[in-house]
Amino acid sequence: MGRDSYAVEVEGVAKRFGPITALDKVTLRIPRGEVFGLLGPNGAGKTTLIRSLVGLVAPEAGTVTVLGQRMPQLDVLARVGYMTQQAALYPDLSAEENVRFFGAISGRVDGVREALELVDLWDRRTSVVATLSGGMRTRCSLACALVHKPELLLLDEPTVGVDPQLRIQLWDRFRQMAAAGTAILISSHVMDEAERCDRLGLIRFGRLLAEGTVGELKAKAGVERLEDAFLKLSEVSES
Amino acid sequence: MSAHRVRAITRRLLQQFRRDRRTLVLLFGAPLVILSLLGYLLRGGGDVPKMGVVNLDGSGLGSVVASALESSKGVSASPMSQADADARLRSGDIAGYVLLPSDFSVQSQQSRSIAPEVHLEGSQPGLSQSILQAVSQSFAALAGQAGGVRFAPRVTFLYGGPNFDTLDYFGAAFIGLVVFFLVFVITAVAFLRERGQGTLERLMASPLRRAEIVLGYMLGFTVLALVQSAEVLAFSLLVLHVHNVGNVALIFVLEALMAIAAVNLGIFLSMFARTEFQAVQFIPLVIVPQMLLAGIIFPVSTEPGPLQALSHVVPLTYAVEGLRDIMIKGADLTWSSLQLDFGVVLGFCILVILAGATTLRRRIA
Repeated sequence: MGRDSYAVEVEGVAKRFGPITALDKVTLRIPRGEVFGLLGPNGAGKTTLIRSLVGLVAPEAGTVTVLGQRMPQLDVLARVGYMTQQAALYPDLSAEENVRFFGAISGRVDGVREALELVDLWDRRTSVVATLSGGMRTRCSLACALVHKPELLLLDEPTVGVDPQLRIQLWDRFRQMAAAGTAILISSHVMDEAERCDRLGLIRFGRLLAEGTVGELKAKAGVERLEDAFLKLSEVSES
Repeated sequence: MSAHRVRAITRRLLQQFRRDRRTLVLLFGAPLVILSLLGYLLRGGGDVPKMGVVNLDGSGLGSVVASALESSKGVSASPMSQADADARLRSGDIAGYVLLPSDFSVQSQQSRSIAPEVHLEGSQPGLSQSILQAVSQSFAALAGQAGGVRFAPRVTFLYGGPNFDTLDYFGAAFIGLVVFFLVFVITAVAFLRERGQGTLERLMASPLRRAEIVLGYMLGFTVLALVQSAEVLAFSLLVLHVHNVGNVALIFVLEALMAIAAVNLGIFLSMFARTEFQAVQFIPLVIVPQMLLAGIIFPVSTEPGPLQALSHVVPLTYAVEGLRDIMIKGADLTWSSLQLDFGVVLGFCILVILAGATTLRRRIA
């Protein structure tokens, strides 16, 4: 079961949309219990990579294996949580009804309260989503992604519009989940967020340019700040 | 009030439409399609109602009336025996027949009042009207030979009756129609909203099967559609007193089948629209031609030949015919015509369910 210790295994995955190369032979492994940050500018291929993990993008080449299952495979998705960039919720339903629905389609509704408390929305659980603020919707969307206690959590820019205090709270929770064995893939273009990850992958023009811990990346680029490391590593691979 | 600002809005609007090819095609294409269809329906030299002439009168006057009818432009009359006429009336082949009794000549010369028997099929008021008109005109041909004769036909109806009016005729069709179209629009819009708000993406990233999504949608909207069907039916029968001699449960089952078909048609067609706005555009494209062709307003039997063929491909035609057969003629499932209607509607249901499920899969993969 050695292979199964990886939550995500991406081997040489390529995908084009017309003339645009969204993913260019990406290879990536994320072990269970790791918080992996996918760092890159807008349009770099972060979202495409995440969508390929849940079978929403069919790669033209390469293989995707999630929790030991070769994708696409529907049943394994019950053990995966996916939070889209846009807060994808039913505006006419209350926060609790939304969370309960997404729990139900993944087969678990016992974690509704826990999920809502985690994102600090338990007191607003009866509020209809249309009346919630942008930040609250993002939090509600996050609660929907983790209500079924997934073994792999995919978060596409999860902390946009979340205030700093709650961000710290969420990161504490991500850490706890990781400690319990959940692998978490977070995409972001915010550097200070990236510094909290166990390992980082730098992605640009659909290519995974570099991969490693924050320290490793800084050392590799020979710079002090992660931002500079990102810029430098991008230049190197372009030339 | 600033002309610049107003112009900015107008300009932006036109720019948006220039990008939206589909809307443009619809805006300028749909009216032509609909008007052509309507023009062809009304002026395309459609068939006139068929009727029979049963002439039992051996001598002169009967044949004068008969030949006047046979040369009439408003109906297509042909001579036949009474037994034949009765059978063809029952099968819906003719819309009515006139019976000229053996003492017709004697009667019209002596009593100064002619009372021919006119037997009407009765389920389509428009056709009945044409026949009565043609019959009364043909009797004007007698005026020269039997001046001052009063014309008082004795009319009998196979279905409906003298009080059977236009609402009774349209009511039966509209009971199904209202449900079909409202359910279609609501489903299409709801499904597009699911796509627009991103929740469809989430559903696709869950262990849900496509068939489960389609089935879940179908059941949810079917609950709504059934309540609506029951409401429409109850209102039509109890408040409007729309003519009904058939089994209410049978009407409801046919309505329910149409509702299920509408739900799935909504899911299927929503795959071809990106926005709710575009979904609404399916109304003139999908719904209006169906309304014109399904025999709701213009009876299929009097349409121009090629359109009749087209009408027989439109599933709604069978639903409308089925509802009318039940409500006006009291048809039940032992009637082969009703079996056909139910069969076609059921087949259409299955077809759109499959279509909905397959397109959903294709769009996501």
